[in-house]
Amino acid sequence: MNDAKLNMAAISAADALKRQPLVLNYKQELGKFLAHHIGQAALLLITCTSVFSVLLIFYFIIKEAFPFLQQFSIIEFLTSIGWYPQAHPPQFGALSLIAGSFYVTITAMIIAVPAGIFAAVFLSDIVSFKVQSIVKPIIELLAAIPSVAYGFFACLVFAPWMQRHLGFSTGVNALNASIILAVMALPTIISVAQDSISAVGRELREASYGLGATRMETIFKVLIPAAHSGIIAAVILGMMRAIGETMVVWMASGNAAKIPSPWWDLTQSVRTMTATIAGDMGETAKGSEHYRALFAIGLLLLITTLAMNLLSEYFLSRTITKSRGRK
Amino acid sequence: MRVELRCCLDKFFTALTWLIIFAIIIVLLLILGPILSKGTSAVLFTDTVEFRKMQVALFSRGNEKQLFAEKNQTAAARQKVYDAIDNFKNGIDTKALTEKVRNLYRRCGQELRAKNLSNQQYTEIRAILKDIRDRLEIAFASNDKNKILENIGYVIQYRQDERFNGTSAHEFFTIAENFSKSVENTDLAKLSEYTKELQEVENLLTQLFGPRPGLPSAATAINQFGATRLDLAQSLLDKILWKEQWVTKENQKSLVKTRTSRSQGFAGTQIEPIFEYLKNDLDKMMLPKFKFYWQYFIDDSTPGHYFGGIGPEILGTLLLTLLSMVFVIPLGVISAAYLTEFSSDNLIIKIIRICINSLAGVPSIIFGLFGLAFFVLFLLPAFGFASKPCILTASMTLSILTLPVMIRSSEEAIKAVPATYKEASLALGAGKFKTFILVTLPAALPGILTGVILSLSRVAGETAPILFTGAVALGPVPRSIFDSTRTLSYGSYDMAVGDRLAMMVPHNQYGMVASLILLVLCLNAMAIILRTKLFKRLHGH
Repeated sequence: MNDAKLNMAAISAADALKRQPLVLNYKQELGKFLAHHIGQAALLLITCTSVFSVLLIFYFIIKEAFPFLQQFSIIEFLTSIGWYPQAHPPQFGALSLIAGSFYVTITAMIIAVPAGIFAAVFLSDIVSFKVQSIVKPIIELLAAIPSVAYGFFACLVFAPWMQRHLGFSTGVNALNASIILAVMALPTIISVAQDSISAVGRELREASYGLGATRMETIFKVLIPAAHSGIIAAVILGMMRAIGETMVVWMASGNAAKIPSPWWDLTQSVRTMTATIAGDMGETAKGSEHYRALFAIGLLLLITTLAMNLLSEYFLSRTITKSRGRK
Repeated sequence: MRVELRCCLDKFFTALTWLIIFAIIIVLLLILGPILSKGTSAVLFTDTVEFRKMQVALFSRGNEKQLFAEKNQTAAARQKVYDAIDNFKNGIDTKALTEKVRNLYRRCGQELRAKNLSNQQYTEIRAILKDIRDRLEIAFASNDKNKILENIGYVIQYRQDERFNGTSAHEFFTIAENFSKSVENTDLAKLSEYTKELQEVENLLTQLFGPRPGLPSAATAINQFGATRLDLAQSLLDKILWKEQWVTKENQKSLVKTRTSRSQGFAGTQIEPIFEYLKNDLDKMMLPKFKFYWQYFIDDSTPGHYFGGIGPEILGTLLLTLLSMVFVIPLGVISAAYLTEFSSDNLIIKIIRICINSLAGVPSIIFGLFGLAFFVLFLLPAFGFASKPCILTASMTLSILTLPVMIRSSEEAIKAVPATYKEASLALGAGKFKTFILVTLPAALPGILTGVILSLSRVAGETAPILFTGAVALGPVPRSIFDSTRTLSYGSYDMAVGDRLAMMVPHNQYGMVASLILLVLCLNAMAIILRTKLFKRLHGH
């Protein structure tokens, strides 16, 4: 019985082969060829959505900002201080806003960079895998909290606390925003820096220990120099997070468009570019000068962050090639 | 350097890194702790009878029969306070008393006329009534205690006079007696002070108990009910019991906050005992009960989020996130598939990757500007829709924002599928495309799902991109995707800084932002669990 069945199956398979030769005829070949390439092209097109998005973002921001840039001089826009869009005649000096962004970002970085690098070293070289697997999700949690929740904390919990216990005239000031931004930038800095420190080869560590260096000396004299490009990229990415952050600075920085005087006084209110866009856009008429000025600020912000992004890409690519080269 | 010193430094450094990690964890707890604990009080709290009244009136929810009994019970307990105040007012509010006496005199006159008295009798009684009225008025207008008592005493001597039977004249005597009683206990010099204080106490009582029974109900929902929560009631009670003032003190520049007891201010008057009564018997007047108000997550709210919940905000957030996922999942997965499986490493791919990274680095507020300029002002009119911010534009903006996250996580998921799977499929004769659809994609699905959940949580928390593209602080529940909507994130912002009413209900402020955080954290926890499970499945054996 079984043999008969097998025979039958073999025969039918052979018949099928006879009817459908393995070599395709030209029609089928062309069909497959077209299907393959059209499919590839369609996939490529869909993949290019992100490219189109970047281009469209640029195009539309420039399109809305262009009339303003034509009408007012760019130099004046970037170097004058007064931001009085409702005055007659209106003044659009972005310098105080740029300074505001600069203040909070730099202060945030002063707090976040040492802490971030130490934490990255801690995770990559100091503790066991077990502790690492507990601490890492906690740090990821910091990144997961929505920015508006940080802003809420800054203006309803932290600001009154500062005012009451530190004796500041106002709780919503540059320092408040900077501290919260530092907390927000930490996860980015930690994860990128940790990746680059972990990527440093085992041989380097072992060589250093073999020469009698302590762990601290190994870290400061070998690992951090070896991973410096990754760490720079981490700092740049952290800065981008801080510059581009809107809700926290809008809620916590006080929104006073002026440069603090004396210049080091962080307890004064500042106003950043992002907060200006967020705060003013709701009150402007579409197509007005003020509206276009806000788009010009957006353009400035976009160019800054994209330049920083490319810079971080450059540094990140250096770490990869370097570690590959060493291996 | 000496070896000991180096070892010491090394230990010190290790301790420092531990310290920093602990500091980060403490910061996280400091941020989450107050928000979550205060936010919980929006759902779990001790409510009062006012809360139940509000629930029945605004949301038609609750046991009306029981509420009716409770209303009567509390009204009886509260009446004592109101009575005491009314009685005291009789002593000090002389204007109202004068008015009352005049009306009463007029009424008595009419009643006399109806009584069929002889002319002589009528004039006689009328004259006495007039005398009583005038004497009372003199007493009310006077500031001299003796003069008042003298006049009142004169009025009261007519009390047993039978000629007044059948008229309302007896009311004169009750008024007179009450007045003399309160005058005896009152320091007349402090009269204006009393009036002011009493006004304050009455206002606070209205906040605590709601409008007095018998008065027309207030127009806005906020004024219709008293303190709906026990904590609110207790803080109001504290305000009633203690008067807070900022006063200048010697030797100190700034104003100093002082607390003075109100019952001392009213010492010796009829009002004094009600402070003690309020303090001891607040429970009887408010009937506090522990409440799990889960409907907080589905209820609509009155303007300013004074009463009610965050239902429309949650609905709006869900709509926005899910709709943006509809756009971003196909785009993200296809892009990731192309980048990992179907492309070679050439210049175009490099450019695409740079663009993806750039997109990830664009600040969120720029997405907001772009969404306004492109989707709202360009795309909607181009397709013939009204050019106004709506759910559709907001979710499209968010989907572009989250595209890099989606692509990256899908790429990782696809890359994590072991090569042996694909090789086995290819060896069986399946093509590249078939292998991807039938083997790689199912194996990578949990990883992709993790990415989806992470993008969801990112989208749910974003505020800046939807500021100009579809979020509003106040508005009706959306009926279609062409309406704007309230969201948790924008609501949190608005309640924190924009809304003055919200400042009076901190539990609702915190409740909103705590719900947002919980939503995001739950999504993240889901993603983490999924990731570990996936890791075990692909590498565990």
